[in-house]
Amino acid sequence: MFPTRALLSRSVWKGPFVVPLPIMRNLPMGQKPPPVKTQARSCTILPDFVDMVFQVHNGKDYVDVLITVDMVGHKLGEFAPTRKPFSYKMSKNR
Amino acid sequence: MVFIGGINIPEGVLVKKALTGFYGVGPNVAARLCAKLAIHDRALVEDLSISKTTAVTLELTKMPIESDLRRKIQEDIKRLRDMGTYRGRRHAMSLPVRGQNTRSQINTARKLNRVERLG
Repeated sequence: MFPTRALLSRSVWKGPFVVPLPIMRNLPMGQKPPPVKTQARSCTILPDFVDMVFQVHNGKDYVDVLITVDMVGHKLGEFAPTRKPFSYKMSKNR
Repeated sequence: MVFIGGINIPEGVLVKKALTGFYGVGPNVAARLCAKLAIHDRALVEDLSISKTTAVTLELTKMPIESDLRRKIQEDIKRLRDMGTYRGRRHAMSLPVRGQNTRSQINTARKLNRVERLG
């Protein structure tokens, strides 16, 4: 029996997996940063990403994701679905 | 009848067996609890002294069991759903959440995976 399953997660000394993103810092006051267009779906959401808009690639196009406080610690790709939901279409020629 | 953790347990039941009756207490947690309070493996509930019974009840109140745990699980699923994650969406669709195949045999997911989870 292992002590806790939390130990089986990523090692702490590595830190969260973050890729360098083209985030605009030090903007003048009252100016919203432009959305960050990225294909890095496996990038961890950090606390300083909150209230920013990301455009996350889903394999076809870029999905707008507004980062909220709850999302910290999740990955960007969790919020951009890659599969199209199945919908039945009646075939015309039978 | 012995009163442990808010319910009456009939006599002639093993302590570790009686503890697993609570939602959120499985064989592992029950064994650990018995080891902590020095209750031997084949102890029956009526053999417990009153101080031991209160100690068990006290330990049970410290951990999330029964309705507390159910509510916690529901809140966790609801948080995933409200955030719009893939996992939350899979819960809402009653489909497997952790990448299992869905060609056949997804009965457990169909039964359990809800936003308002019952089981």
